[in-house]
Amino acid sequence: MTGTAFIAPDGGVRVEHVSKSFGPPDARVTVLDDVSLTIGMGEFVSVIGPSGCGKSTLLKVVAGLIEADSGTVTIGGEPVAAAARDKAIGLVPQAPALLPWRTVLDNVRLPLQVNRRANAGRALRDPSELLTSFGLGHAMRKYPGQLSGGMQQRAAIARAFVFDPAIMLMDEPFSALDEMNRDQQRLGLLDFWQSNRKAVMFVTHSVPEAIMLSDRIVVMSAHPGRIATVIDVDLPRPRAEADYATDAFRDLEAVVRGELHRVMEAAHA
Amino acid sequence: MRDTETIDATAAVAAVDIAETRAAGGRARRTRLDWRNWVPTAITFAVAALLWQLVAWSNPYVIPTLDAIWANLVANPAMYWVNFLVTLQEVLVGAASGILAGFALAVVMAEFRIVERAVMPLVVVVMVTPIVAIAPALVVAFGFGMMPKYIVTALVVFFPMLVNSLAGLRDADPKALDVLRTLHASRWEIFRDLRFPGCMPYVFAGLRIALPLAVVGAAVAEFVAAGQQAGLGSLVTTSAAQANLPVTWASIALLCLLGVLLVSLLALVRKRVLWWSDGEPVAR
Ligand SMILES: Nc1ncnc2c1ncn2[C@@H]1O[C@H](COP(=O)(O)OP(=O)(O)OP(=O)(O)O)[C@@H](O)[C@H]1O
Ligand SMILES: [Mg+2]
Repeated sequence: MTGTAFIAPDGGVRVEHVSKSFGPPDARVTVLDDVSLTIGMGEFVSVIGPSGCGKSTLLKVVAGLIEADSGTVTIGGEPVAAAARDKAIGLVPQAPALLPWRTVLDNVRLPLQVNRRANAGRALRDPSELLTSFGLGHAMRKYPGQLSGGMQQRAAIARAFVFDPAIMLMDEPFSALDEMNRDQQRLGLLDFWQSNRKAVMFVTHSVPEAIMLSDRIVVMSAHPGRIATVIDVDLPRPRAEADYATDAFRDLEAVVRGELHRVMEAAHA
Repeated sequence: MRDTETIDATAAVAAVDIAETRAAGGRARRTRLDWRNWVPTAITFAVAALLWQLVAWSNPYVIPTLDAIWANLVANPAMYWVNFLVTLQEVLVGAASGILAGFALAVVMAEFRIVERAVMPLVVVVMVTPIVAIAPALVVAFGFGMMPKYIVTALVVFFPMLVNSLAGLRDADPKALDVLRTLHASRWEIFRDLRFPGCMPYVFAGLRIALPLAVVGAAVAEFVAAGQQAGLGSLVTTSAAQANLPVTWASIALLCLLGVLLVSLLALVRKRVLWWSDGEPVAR
């Protein structure tokens, strides 16, 4: 059930021996310590761990927003900077971060309007069709301020899918939503992803969310941030809401919670 | 009281402005027709006008009565109009240059931190120098024409525009910035799609400070060069020197009106441009 030695095909993400610390030389804090991780093409990988263990930092390193102190990250075999130039990375931040002066449709168009050179030769999606498939067909002409939090987050996800990136990075996209809304959004994402397979790195705090969506769950420990273990989720796909109630799901939930518990204990010891 | 019409008009514009600001604030529940919006304001102005009259009646050599001011205004409409236009021109040309220059320097400073470090101390030194002291020096350098007035007006407008625009350009939503960076958007694209539209609430907060200051700048510049050129500020100093109080106060009222007009116009434009923003950011 565990094992870090997954060999990624060339299309995926490969993180090798990445370390990162912050702060002045005399008070340096190691946030990521020798983290290695691979995400295969079309694979959904969740990262879970205690607060402050470095999940967002890892995601930002993969996104090319933070430079690692050591180690390498490649996306589809090329360095992150080259992947960004090719618009290979879709980012869904923790807050929707839509531009309030643009309509929902124009927000989703934004990725097509910047770095146009990288638009050539790829399967760009039609923004309005995409929004319709995200259940926002009626809200396209509205402004973000007129939408509920869940709708805004769906628009932010549509914005990340519209330019057909090879990999998708999501940092707790549903954490700001209430529980019912969250569950609905997560099933919506599951549905969409199952028919539009991308390599996804998905940071979350929710164990059921991680299990429902993922092929593998990476459990991180804190201080310093390390990969404690990787759990394979061998539930058959396509998955749906009914899977929450299966024994296999419950068993996995116990396993993941057990691992998280061990990680927390170790931190307090 | 027909005599207080100028001041009543001022009150009305101020009330519109307040209503506008509230509407721009988004969740305005009161409409402009709601009596609570204008009745208290009207009462304040009526009381102020009444107090004014009481003082003026008993001390005719301190302030003129409102009716005397009004009578003077309507007796010389052409003279006031010419002077109003001169000051208006100084304000428009000076403020436009100061606004554009302040914004442009803010853009350069936001994009290149080194420029801020290099230039900001000099800007601060110039800005803490009293403008009243600079004005006579400029008159000596540039003569009694319009140029020193443009420069003084532009100078007073420049600083609030620079500081507010800079704060706005720096305040771009970091998460939206992350999204654009992962897309490898160019600096220009980040400016065009995020920083420029995003800084508008700050720019308008800066304009709100800068436009009334522009009227101050133009008036001060005219004080210094009084007697040589037309303008409401010159009119104030020359008439005060002759103890011609109705002219002095009529000119002051027109300067006030000019400021109110500019601020009201700004509020209207703000509502058009910034409908998406809830409330003004804190001006720094
Ligand atoms: N730019 C930075 N400078 C200094 N310290 C930082 C910086 N970014 C993150 N850190 C520190 O690194 C640690 C990990 O932060 P990170 O945001 O990656 O955690 P996280 O796992 O995403 O936490 P959460 O679950 O709360 O989102 C934290 O202790 C944080 O204070
Ligand atoms: Mg985080």
